[in-house]
Amino acid sequence: MASSSTLSLCSSLASRCRLSHNPKAHHPHLSPSISFSPSKASVAPLPSLKLAPSKPSSCSFTAKSSESDAPVIEFAPEPAEPEPAPEVPSPSDAPKREEVFAVVMIGSRQYIVFPGRYIYTQRLKGANANDKIILNKVLLVGTKTSTYIGKPVVPNAAVHAVVEEQGLDPKVIVFKYKKKKKYRRNIGHRQPNTRIRIMGITGYQDSPAVTLDS
Amino acid sequence: MNKAKVFKLAKGFRGRAKNCIRIARERVEKALQYSYRDRRNKKRDMRSLWIQRINAGTRIHSVNYGNFMHGLMKENIQLNRKVLSEISMHEPHSFKALVDISRNAFPGNKNVVHAPRKVAMPLSV
Repeated sequence: MASSSTLSLCSSLASRCRLSHNPKAHHPHLSPSISFSPSKASVAPLPSLKLAPSKPSSCSFTAKSSESDAPVIEFAPEPAEPEPAPEVPSPSDAPKREEVFAVVMIGSRQYIVFPGRYIYTQRLKGANANDKIILNKVLLVGTKTSTYIGKPVVPNAAVHAVVEEQGLDPKVIVFKYKKKKKYRRNIGHRQPNTRIRIMGITGYQDSPAVTLDS
Repeated sequence: MNKAKVFKLAKGFRGRAKNCIRIARERVEKALQYSYRDRRNKKRDMRSLWIQRINAGTRIHSVNYGNFMHGLMKENIQLNRKVLSEISMHEPHSFKALVDISRNAFPGNKNVVHAPRKVAMPLSV
């Protein structure tokens, strides 16, 4: 995945998305009919996040983009090389993963996602393990040659993902103390989160794009 | 919290603060207070860092941060600063597309910024 310099956001996301290559497991299934297939909805609550109005506020797609605490991203300065510069032949990944990334908004936070990797988001209520999820709020899609910029959303773009597990963040100790006033509180806190693995990015081809002339 | 927990949290402290319970307990409490405060400060610091990075990225293309964000807001592009800073670092072509959109959305921008000139300093100086 790190073969091309243009799509090398992987290094910065190391703290959140460990390189999760499953060479044999994931082929991006780009059938947009996933959201409509009733076979996936074996359980009554349809896991698709397209039905946003019925979901509680934890996955409300409000338009505000918050600067909530992102993990510290190590600075990996990349000189702005022209596109044909990286002539390094990519080592043979068995399935050729399509080189595309998207910026998606989940729980009023924005994430840069790649197919085949996982991200941790805030806990999605009503999502169980191995549920398919479609994320509609795609703000930007980038491929090797063109960029689709949404105002604010790229029309008809969808990111398909699978819920892997619903866990908890590492414990944070909330310690409150006031000196000389005999006030101290010691509380531990684990924030619930959800790990979702990105399957594929679809539906962006028809949007107006900014294409490189290369 | 009991002594074992205190010592576990006091790893890496200087001098007797990692070994002696009376001192370690004080230092650990202080450390926990700082971490409470800094969880809030981290959000501010990160945003400041993102803004600096975006500023650096846009000035390469002769636009400064303020006009760039103004143009994006006009075009109703809702990418946040975290993502913009990442794109400016790793996806230079996408970022240039964004800068062009912003520049076109906000014509009459008299404040054309020139890219910082890199002067080759001789090492002996």
